[in-house]
Amino acid sequence: MILSASGISNSSNSLPDPSVTEDSYRKCLKMGVANILSEVGFDSTTPLALETLCELFQSFLGELGRSSRAYTELACRAHPLHADVLLALIEMGVPTEGLSAYAFRPGRKSLANPQPAPPIKQTSILHTGDRPASSRSKARQAGGDFLPELPDSHAFVRTPTHKQPVTDYVGVREKAASQKRDVERALTRFIAKTGQTHSLFSTNDTNLFPLISPERLMPDQPLLPAYINALLFKDQVFEEDEREFQPKKKKEDDPLDDSDDDDPPPPVPTTEKMKSSDPIDSDSDEEVKVEPPPSAAVVPVQESPVKRNRREHDGVIENPFLKPVRMPRTTATPVKRAL
Amino acid sequence: MGDVVSFFLLCTVHQIVSLTGINFSTRSIIGFVELTILPQKDNIRHVRLNAKQCRIYKVSLNASLEAPFQYFDPTLEVSQGATKNQYDLETFSECHLSGCNLVDPDLNGGELNIKIPSEAYALDYIGINKPLKIQVEFSLVEPQGGIHFVIPENPLQNCEVSGEGAASAAGGSASATPSPASTVSLAERGAHMYTCGHENSSRLWFPCIDTLSELCTWKLEFTVDESMTAVSCGDLVETVYTHDMKRKTFHYVVDTPTAAPNIALVVGPFEIYVDPNMHEVTHFCLPHLLPVLKATVRWVHETFEFMETVLNSRFPYTNYKQVFVDEAYTDHTCFSSLSILSTTLLHSSAVVDQVYETRKIGAHALACQYYGCFITTEKWSDLWLRKGISRYLAGLFVKKFFGNNEYRQMIHQQMEQVIKYEEKYGGIILDSSVPPKSTVPAGARGEAHREVQIQENPFAFPPSNVNTCSPEYLEIMALKSHLSIRMLENRIGAQQLLQVLNKQLSLATTASQTKNNPAAWDNMVLNTSTFSKSIFMVTGKDMNVFFDQWIRSGGHARFHMEFVFNMKRNTVEMQINQDAASQGMRGIRKYVGPLTVAVQELDGWFSYTFPIENIHSKHDITCHSKSRRNKKKKIPLCNNEEVDMDLSAMDDSPVLWIRIDPDMQLVRSLDIQQPDFQWQYQLRHERDVTAQSEAARALERFPSLASRKALIDMIEDEKCFYRVRGLATHCLAKVANSMASNSDGPPPLLMIFKKMFGSFAASHIIKQNDFSNLQSYFLQKELPVAMAKLRNVQGICPPEVLKFLLDLFKYNDNSKSNFSDNYYRAALVDALGETVTPVVSMVQNELGSSITADSLSPDTKAILEEVTRYLNLEKLLPSYKYTVTLSCLKTLRKLQKQGHLPSSPILFKDYGKYGQFIDVRLSALECFVDHVRMEGNFKDISHLLNLVETDPDPYVRHKICRFMIENPPFDRARHHRNDKPELVERLWNFMNSGFWYDSRLRCDIVDLYFELYGRKMPVCIPLPELAALQPKKVDKPKGSANREKKSSFIIPKAEKRKMEEIIRPDAIPAEFAHALPPVNREMVAADIPDYFSMDDPEPGPSHHVGQPAKKSHLEVENAAVELAAGSAELSLETKEKHHKHRREKKSKKEKKKHKKEKKSKSKEHKKKHKKEKKHTSEDQMHSSSVMGSSGAHSKMMPGGMTDGGQALSSDSSTPSTGNSPIHSTM
Repeated sequence: MILSASGISNSSNSLPDPSVTEDSYRKCLKMGVANILSEVGFDSTTPLALETLCELFQSFLGELGRSSRAYTELACRAHPLHADVLLALIEMGVPTEGLSAYAFRPGRKSLANPQPAPPIKQTSILHTGDRPASSRSKARQAGGDFLPELPDSHAFVRTPTHKQPVTDYVGVREKAASQKRDVERALTRFIAKTGQTHSLFSTNDTNLFPLISPERLMPDQPLLPAYINALLFKDQVFEEDEREFQPKKKKEDDPLDDSDDDDPPPPVPTTEKMKSSDPIDSDSDEEVKVEPPPSAAVVPVQESPVKRNRREHDGVIENPFLKPVRMPRTTATPVKRAL
Repeated sequence: MGDVVSFFLLCTVHQIVSLTGINFSTRSIIGFVELTILPQKDNIRHVRLNAKQCRIYKVSLNASLEAPFQYFDPTLEVSQGATKNQYDLETFSECHLSGCNLVDPDLNGGELNIKIPSEAYALDYIGINKPLKIQVEFSLVEPQGGIHFVIPENPLQNCEVSGEGAASAAGGSASATPSPASTVSLAERGAHMYTCGHENSSRLWFPCIDTLSELCTWKLEFTVDESMTAVSCGDLVETVYTHDMKRKTFHYVVDTPTAAPNIALVVGPFEIYVDPNMHEVTHFCLPHLLPVLKATVRWVHETFEFMETVLNSRFPYTNYKQVFVDEAYTDHTCFSSLSILSTTLLHSSAVVDQVYETRKIGAHALACQYYGCFITTEKWSDLWLRKGISRYLAGLFVKKFFGNNEYRQMIHQQMEQVIKYEEKYGGIILDSSVPPKSTVPAGARGEAHREVQIQENPFAFPPSNVNTCSPEYLEIMALKSHLSIRMLENRIGAQQLLQVLNKQLSLATTASQTKNNPAAWDNMVLNTSTFSKSIFMVTGKDMNVFFDQWIRSGGHARFHMEFVFNMKRNTVEMQINQDAASQGMRGIRKYVGPLTVAVQELDGWFSYTFPIENIHSKHDITCHSKSRRNKKKKIPLCNNEEVDMDLSAMDDSPVLWIRIDPDMQLVRSLDIQQPDFQWQYQLRHERDVTAQSEAARALERFPSLASRKALIDMIEDEKCFYRVRGLATHCLAKVANSMASNSDGPPPLLMIFKKMFGSFAASHIIKQNDFSNLQSYFLQKELPVAMAKLRNVQGICPPEVLKFLLDLFKYNDNSKSNFSDNYYRAALVDALGETVTPVVSMVQNELGSSITADSLSPDTKAILEEVTRYLNLEKLLPSYKYTVTLSCLKTLRKLQKQGHLPSSPILFKDYGKYGQFIDVRLSALECFVDHVRMEGNFKDISHLLNLVETDPDPYVRHKICRFMIENPPFDRARHHRNDKPELVERLWNFMNSGFWYDSRLRCDIVDLYFELYGRKMPVCIPLPELAALQPKKVDKPKGSANREKKSSFIIPKAEKRKMEEIIRPDAIPAEFAHALPPVNREMVAADIPDYFSMDDPEPGPSHHVGQPAKKSHLEVENAAVELAAGSAELSLETKEKHHKHRREKKSKKEKKKHKKEKKSKSKEHKKKHKKEKKHTSEDQMHSSSVMGSSGAHSKMMPGGMTDGGQALSSDSSTPSTGNSPIHSTM
């Protein structure tokens, strides 16, 4: 028999190899049974009958194995010998003479070896190249057996992993254009399907050219005024060099405390400390962030046109809008007023 | 001017405006105003202020004495008691003008009449040049005009109850304060407010003397929420917290004398950006927009430098503020040291097209600071100076920064606009206050024989008051003013003109530094005669002839030129005709004077100046070039450049081309007849862009291979100005279409495009966008549109063109570009729209009723595919200002119009809703208006009018009207199905009483009414019996107003508050003052106490007839009772407004004296005798009293004008009613 006793005996205990399943044994068994049946002269069989015969055959084999093993162990061996199997057969009442003749009978149909299931390919996931043969032999050629095996070839051989790009200009443009268009079309179609649309046609059944309705799309988004989207357009992103618009010495390093803009203003009326930027809304807190000149507490005299030279040298921007907000006069520290 | 000062009744020296309760949630303002005035005579009895829609609580003098006051505003309901049969514009415009003049402060008018109580004399408050302080406490609730609140919806509220937020934002009733948890604060939402208005509209938000000629210094205080910033005129002195630390007060001081209309206020949670190059310039924008603001204002300091250099004068204010606001009234409005600009002008540095526009507008706004804010004008007839000079300065900026070509193109374009308007509506007279002199000394500049005809007002509205003028008229007038200033520059020289301006500025600067002396401030107020005087002083040139010709008379010239070359004499025999003028075509008048003619010959460029004296004038020009083509030599051009030309096309004459008035020294239209090869030479070789564009347009009439070649060469010429190249593409399309039958091969434009923009490897695929060369960028935008205009023999767009356009869509790739391609993509969509031709198979579709997606032609499907994809994509990835959406909407409308799609307005209706971006709305509404014209029903018209009535955005309301005027829903008097009396009624109500708060909108409706119905009665209104027409004549103060209109030339409208004014009921022109009876002045002056004693004891007999107004801000109580009872009853808690208008009255004696005249006058109303002009004063008094009394019969005015009117009629008209037959019918 082709099926070794050990294989069968193992089958019930554990399945170390995930590729060998109960099912595959059964399949082999079924093929054997069917083979014998056809040899005997059956043309066809019902699945139920075949299954019953298989079951019978399996229990016979199982009993044979168990019994052989018992004899083996009785003789204090670990592996069964030919004799052990014979004893077991005899014990089961199977006549053994003629068995070899039967086995080598002339018209015997032999079954192909069961193909190892494709999942065995597992190794190819981990290894690349023709590793088992060539890399080992190469390694032996190079160094000798004592050296560890070389890693997979991809680790040290540079292999081109991509196709040469299309250099044809027309092709490239064509491809880029159609990809872009497909993406855009898919996106707009999707949005059109999920939201409110307009139809260009009087009959509402057609949805060939759906137009996304201009109503605001997502209600959970913060509702910004329409001009925000229009002016801060999103269809393209340009890396603008913002620095060129910045004033030369504007202090940008002031920590921006955006978090506390909801707090009520915590002014300290007794001190002249210019904490007035806190109550300002986060959007506009830059206005007062610029440090006032040390003399800001002094009366802001209106500049005469002569004095009003364009000055940038001292780095301090004198602009009344940047000046801190003054405390009311009747609080603890009276402040001098301009008028 | 010094002698005039003594005639002023009073002048303001200082004014304090303090707005304390600016409340966004209730849209209300509580305020206080203090005017310091210097009476110019000691028996001043009352003071008139302008105040509209303000609820006045209390008026006191010197903070101690309460003064009684009355309120009357005739503009609330213009034509009172007009029946349906009187719904014609002629009647309306008379009443409108007289109403507006009654409240015009230049004519000593005003809505708020404050009586100086006799106690004031007792307390010695009144004296010549003794400062008198008038305090007014007032409030505004939900102002409809003048102040605009922009309050975006609450997003969270919107989530919970969708639609509710929108409704509250639109309805303005967002006062129900939701719980704090569910609200986003107003500042975070970007709520803001600003003052706005048409010309002088400050009266809509604080009581003042609302004229540009009344200057004073200001102290402004605004208390706002601590998250907000208040930006106003002048210097910000300090910002102080209120005691509860929740609000802060901005203190502004305006030291430079400034007129009330130049005061403005903006409040909002602005981001503040101090210009890094000039720290005295501050820019403000709404939250989130700081990056684009920075990109936008990069150039502002250059504009400053330019203006200061050109004018050789320092910027007149110590600082300058630019605020960018949403829903702006116009794209820019200028106030003293403050400009309010539309937020749509902001752009990032990746945007190309907007930069040009924004910079031009910014420069204009800055120029307005000099002329308009710092130097103001005196009367409405001087408006042209302010508008013209500021535009002229902005034009110089364009010349410097965008080049001379751009400048000339701009001038050319403006001239075309002016010509178009004048030919449609009539000649614009810039200064109609003084008629042009009838006789000019003989021999003076060849204009001796000019006969002066008194021109009738050609417009459907009275142009003499700016509040009655059509907005389009004002716009065109500004352009014409600019052209006139430019003509002046041509006459006296650019340097000289700038010297004149510099002189005025330095005088004004000196004047502005003298404090508390209103007399010295006269140098800050310009008028036409002082302007011409200062030209004379600086340059020594008397420009009166010019002023008479171009400023004081209207219209433009039109020249028709033909010529023949006489080979024998070697001369060009030229004939210049002005037939259009002799035929009396509208807007065209005969020009007499010098005219420049330029002839390009083989030997060079020669300029001649011919005197034009007659309708037909003949001139012989001897040619310099004797021999032609004998030698191959270079031909010198006007700029001394020498070029080789292919002269094979020429015939015998040595003339290459002829131009008339090449430097645009006149406002003229030209019709030049020359053969096609001359036009081709002109196009190819003339260096002036206007000549090139004229030649390109002329070649449309000569479709030939040579023309085509010339145009193609032009388009491909890199040295040529890009706008001319763009124009040439369109002309080439037309030429190619005319030649379509006998030409084969690919369309020329397609070839040009492939050559210029096709990629190297495959010319049908466009290169990746590279917009670094702006010239080719503009051409790239223009070419597809022009290409799409091509038509083959069948009259449809050639399929290869359409395919190519679709390929342009497909292969458009902007990934490598540094600029946004949104305008280019919009142009592509426009191009697709241009390819659409009317569908032929309409009949098969059963009249288009069953157009379905399946029945579309493949071409239409391909077009729709692109359009829908772009339109949908814009929802997710919006382009700059949704330019692509705009084009998509227009293209869809075009497809509908041409029968490819079922016509449906729903799409446009939705895009036109409030909440969409303004440009999208306008574009959609334009399409909607177009739909209404083609197949709209009455409901659609009503929808539009609802928007006009209730839309929150004032600019949209204005624009809808303009769209409807451009594209009226139906033609006049064609018995269209939508031409219904209901529409007449509705429009009439709009202009008569509905839009009292916005004169721009009111005049828009007047324009629309004119467009739909003309001046006479609308046809759709059933004709009444003749008898019914009769009473109208008597009923109205028609006679007087008619005369006024007729005599618009003769009566200066803006004689300022002179002493006589108090005693004369209304403006009496100075030159007619002598015509009054000499006793007049003294008598009336003596009678003034009568005026008050008369109305005090006579309470209005039926002062409770009128219901209190629906608008709460103008509550009424009988003022006469209040007056009689004394000021105690004018308590704050009654919170009522007494509006009563009162004109000065003449004594009974005077009345009697004129009684007979009046009687005769009323009989002769229709004849309108000229001699009666003398009595305009009385007539106006009449009209006022009549209007007042008819007010009692008016149904309902906003603000309950009925009571005020009634009260007025009771007292002011008492002496006259008995006598006047006019009133006997009432």
